[in-house]
Amino acid sequence: MTTRTRHLLPLIAFLAASFLYAPLGTQAQTSSTQSGTSTYGERWLHVRVISTNSRGETVRVNVPLELAEKVLPAIDHDRLHKGKVRIGCMDCDGVDVRTIFEAVRNSKDGEFVTVQSNDADVSVTKKDGQLLVHVHDKNKPKHSQVEVKVPMKVVEALLSGSKDELDLAAGLHALRGQGDVELVSVKDDDNTIRVWLDSKNMTTD
Amino acid sequence: MVLLGKIALGFGATVVLAGAYTFREGLLRVDVDETRGETHHVHVWVPAAVVPMAMHFLPRDRMREAGERAGEFMPLVHAVAKELQKYPEAELVEVHDGLQYVRVRTHNGNLLIDAEEPGQTVHVSCPLATIDDVSRELQTFAPAS
Repeated sequence: MTTRTRHLLPLIAFLAASFLYAPLGTQAQTSSTQSGTSTYGERWLHVRVISTNSRGETVRVNVPLELAEKVLPAIDHDRLHKGKVRIGCMDCDGVDVRTIFEAVRNSKDGEFVTVQSNDADVSVTKKDGQLLVHVHDKNKPKHSQVEVKVPMKVVEALLSGSKDELDLAAGLHALRGQGDVELVSVKDDDNTIRVWLDSKNMTTD
Repeated sequence: MVLLGKIALGFGATVVLAGAYTFREGLLRVDVDETRGETHHVHVWVPAAVVPMAMHFLPRDRMREAGERAGEFMPLVHAVAKELQKYPEAELVEVHDGLQYVRVRTHNGNLLIDAEEPGQTVHVSCPLATIDDVSRELQTFAPAS
């Protein structure tokens, strides 16, 4: 071994060690860039429940839609099978839900159902390609409000399966094509519940 | 002197290589601290790469038993672990309930579960690739449906 080569040995050893550990470092760097806003095209479903009672319960769930879509078909339990959930009342008391939906889908924007009573006000509206359900419960001291906003394409995908089942996987797939949207909002005396969709991989509030 | 140097270099390189190979998938870590009543501390740190390897040395009847018990959930575990590897940094679940706290997240390709309540804390960290490997291995022992 020449003197020149011998001098290079520590350098070679250092480079070999750096090469061996390189993947770990690279992974850490890549990961840090992924916090906050997720990579382009990723859609996240967020659920947040905040309770104002003495225990101060909070629940935060963040799920990538793609993950939910891929994992759902792997669940085979009770009524859930291959991403579809079997529900017995699609033909509720002689009312064909699917036919009603088809009628709503093909009609122009407007308020389809309005119920006003001493207990609650309920309205179902179609506006800008979205189905909006609003429930105002008057029984509680602080009047609870429930708002559900579902894009029509998602409802359509949910009902794309056979007659007595909801295709959840198809619904999630359709949801991925939607922009940032608040799907469910519930406010009552004790709880605030929000379900929404965006491209961030964490809840910022 | 030169010979000693060569031996040291060879030994060092072997240690570095063996260390890099063993820890290439990270660590499987389980920390349980119980201070309520009788105090218990359990800390298990295992190189994750060893786990799938060790499974090959377990008695077959034990693996079949594990497969029978957990096999039906393994496709789900496998699907979750495989998909979660695409999200190495994510806050998945966070629950506060009074003094109880549960957090599930991914960090550097590991699944981290932290659970705390008065007198007891549990921290689990496991590389997602290891969960994927183990679930696939267990799935092979599941009874055919």
